[in-house]
This record gives sequence, structure tokens and C-alpha cells, in this order.
Amino acid sequence: MSRRLQPALGALLCLVLLWPGVRHAMEASMWRHMLLQFPLWMLAGGLLAARVPAGAGRWNAHGISGLIGVAALMAVLMVPRLLDMALQRPMVEAAKLAALLLGGAALRLSWRPAGLVLQFFFLGNVLPMMAVAGQLYADSPLRLCNAYLQDDQIRLGQWLTALAALLALAWLAGAARQLMRRDAQADGLTGSPARAAARSTARE
Amino acid sequence: MLRTAVLGVGLLCCGYGALAWLTHDFQVWTQEDARRLEVALTPVALPSVAVDGTGGAAGDLRALLAQGGGVTIADFIYTRCQTVCLSLGSSFQQLQAQLRADREGAKPVRVRLLSISFDGQRDDPQALAAYARGQGADPSLWRFVRVPDEAQQQALLLRLGVVVVPNGRGDYEHNAALLVFDAQGRMLRVFDMEQQQLALDYARHKAGAALEAAP
Repeated sequence: MSRRLQPALGALLCLVLLWPGVRHAMEASMWRHMLLQFPLWMLAGGLLAARVPAGAGRWNAHGISGLIGVAALMAVLMVPRLLDMALQRPMVEAAKLAALLLGGAALRLSWRPAGLVLQFFFLGNVLPMMAVAGQLYADSPLRLCNAYLQDDQIRLGQWLTALAALLALAWLAGAARQLMRRDAQADGLTGSPARAAARSTARE
Repeated sequence: MLRTAVLGVGLLCCGYGALAWLTHDFQVWTQEDARRLEVALTPVALPSVAVDGTGGAAGDLRALLAQGGGVTIADFIYTRCQTVCLSLGSSFQQLQAQLRADREGAKPVRVRLLSISFDGQRDDPQALAAYARGQGADPSLWRFVRVPDEAQQQALLLRLGVVVVPNGRGDYEHNAALLVFDAQGRMLRVFDMEQQQLALDYARHKAGAALEAAP
């Protein structure tokens, strides 16, 4: 998709998500609230940031501050009280949605500049937290949110854990592909003569 | 790099601040625990709501709580309930037995029980009376009321932090708890259903203190 189109699409997505009918339908259930509304708002933020040059400025070298911000945001989003408060207080809801939008944008701008090592560090923090939160949600004998039912909470917990595992696997696959491609390029660049020479010296 | 570090530390501080605010300095993680903590720190005054129910209990809820000048342990119920309310019912039955023993021990009983229905449309006084009989309620100790007016009922639930969720099978899930009110109609504490002894001791203590304060 062209970069020119993406901000418009992001704005459209924001409008759809803000529509009271859509918003209430998403917030009527705990799993839709966390696993549908949260990622969609982050997606909208990412789309809106399409034309901001990635990693621009000295404020976000290697995407470090962006990833720190997203990790902090994820930690806050895992607190069950936030879901109840967002339903009861419009100010908290507004802050939550704005933070998700900014978080999505920050993630997009920081992901590539971060490189594999920092990405690994980021995911190594965020994904285990997500899996543990999921376990707690699924295993808690109590309802953690007054506004949601317990079977809803158990389903959310299981899916949260599964999502963390899937994201980890997807990143590993992507990283492996990237490393292999890099190796292949390195072979192409240094050229076979050097390799051949190395092989011949080894033979002698 | 310096600016990145500054921004990163700033964002970390923002996250820490948000977490600290959300969890009352890392004491609570759920809205229910936050509600209980907030009530314990600052009592919540009841709004003015008209109720009717068993034993001719009718009129303003605050006036009902002021009768006798004692302390009231209240819960929220709906009479069709087959799950949580039954266990709440048995907690209340045990509380009632202890209050009766208090009375026979010639100690003035200044603690009362009150069950408030959050299904005011269905739970008319007849339904409440039938439910009270089923629970073996002693009308002098344990009364049942509803809020007939829908808007007033919503205002009451909102003020007290009671959240009722239909579970899609014709029943409700709600944050069932024991609420302790004083004679001025203020909610002083919220206890877990399992903490009935604690709730009773607290209510007795408060009622005793009120008795001493009164001339």
C-alpha cells in the first residue's frame, strides 16, 4: 500500500473506532476490549505515522525511546483496573485511546531502527509480561473486572498467552529469514573469489 | 544519544506515574479493591432514594438506616438469583444467628441487616417478602427493600460502586460484598463475602462507639 494512502486510512480507522456503536460493541466484552480495540487503535497510530521519516531525530536513536515508551504503555494496559476505569471515566478512556494511538506510531517509527538486538530485548520484556498476565487472568478464581464476566476473562487470558507465544514465534521466523538473507548478501558482496581463495588455502 | 536517553527516562517516569496512580501506589490492581480502599479512606454518603419492601419498610433509604441509630450491614441481591446471592444469603443467616445471640445475651443489638434488590422492576414487596421467608429472615433484624424508581436505582448503584452485569443466561453477575453503613447513611467499609465475622465485629465496634457517643 502506498505511503500516501496510509495516513488517510489511519484517520478513517480512527473515525470508525470512535463511532459510539463500534466502541461500545468492542468494550462490551473483555477480550474484544483488549485484543481487538487495543491493537486496532495501535494500527491506526501506525498508519497515521506512515509519512513521518523512520527513526528521525536524535530523540529516538535506534528507536530506543520509542520502544521504552511502548513497553511502559503495555505494562499500564495490563492492569485490570484500567479496563473498568475506562468504562466509567471518559477522561481515562480518552487518555487510553490517545496513548494507544501514540504507542502505535512510536512502535512503527522505532521498529526498524532498533534492529534485531533491541527488538529481542523489547520483546523479551513485553511478551513474557503478556503471557504471565494472561495466565493470571485465566487462573484467577475472582473476577478481576467488575464490568466483565469470568468466562470472558478466562478466554481473554488464554488468548493473551497464546498471542504472546505466536508473536514470539513470528519474530523468530522473521529474524531467521533476515539473518539468512544478510548472509546470502554478504556472500554475494565479498564474492566467491575470496571464498575460493579461503578454501584453497585451507586445502593446502 | 543523550536526548534519546532523556526521552526514554522521561517516558519510563510517565509509565511509572500512570501505574502508581492506577494502583494507588501499587496497593490495588482491580477496581473492586480500589473501591474498598477508597471507601475505607473516605466514607461514601448515600444519595436520596425512595425504597419500599418488607415489614412496612418504606420511604427514604437514609431514614431507614437512621432508625434505631445503629449500624447496618447491607448487601445487594435479586430474588431470582441462584448462585452468589445464595451464599450471601447464608452469610446473612449466620450473621442473623449471631445478632440473635447478642440480643438474648441482653446486650443491646444495634446492628441490623438489610438486603437491597438491584432488580427493582421485578422484585416487588411481595417477591421480597417471599424471598425473606425462604431465607428465614427475622423481620426485627433483617429487612429487604428495593428501589422502585429506575433512575434512582442507577444513581444508588453508581454511588456505591455496585456493578451488575447480565450474564446472557437470564441471570446477573455482580460484585457481591458486605457493605457497612452508619446511622447517618454513610458507607464506611466494604467487606468480602467471606469476611462476615470481620464485618460483624467492625459493625459491633462502630455501633458500640455510637452508643457511647450518644448521651
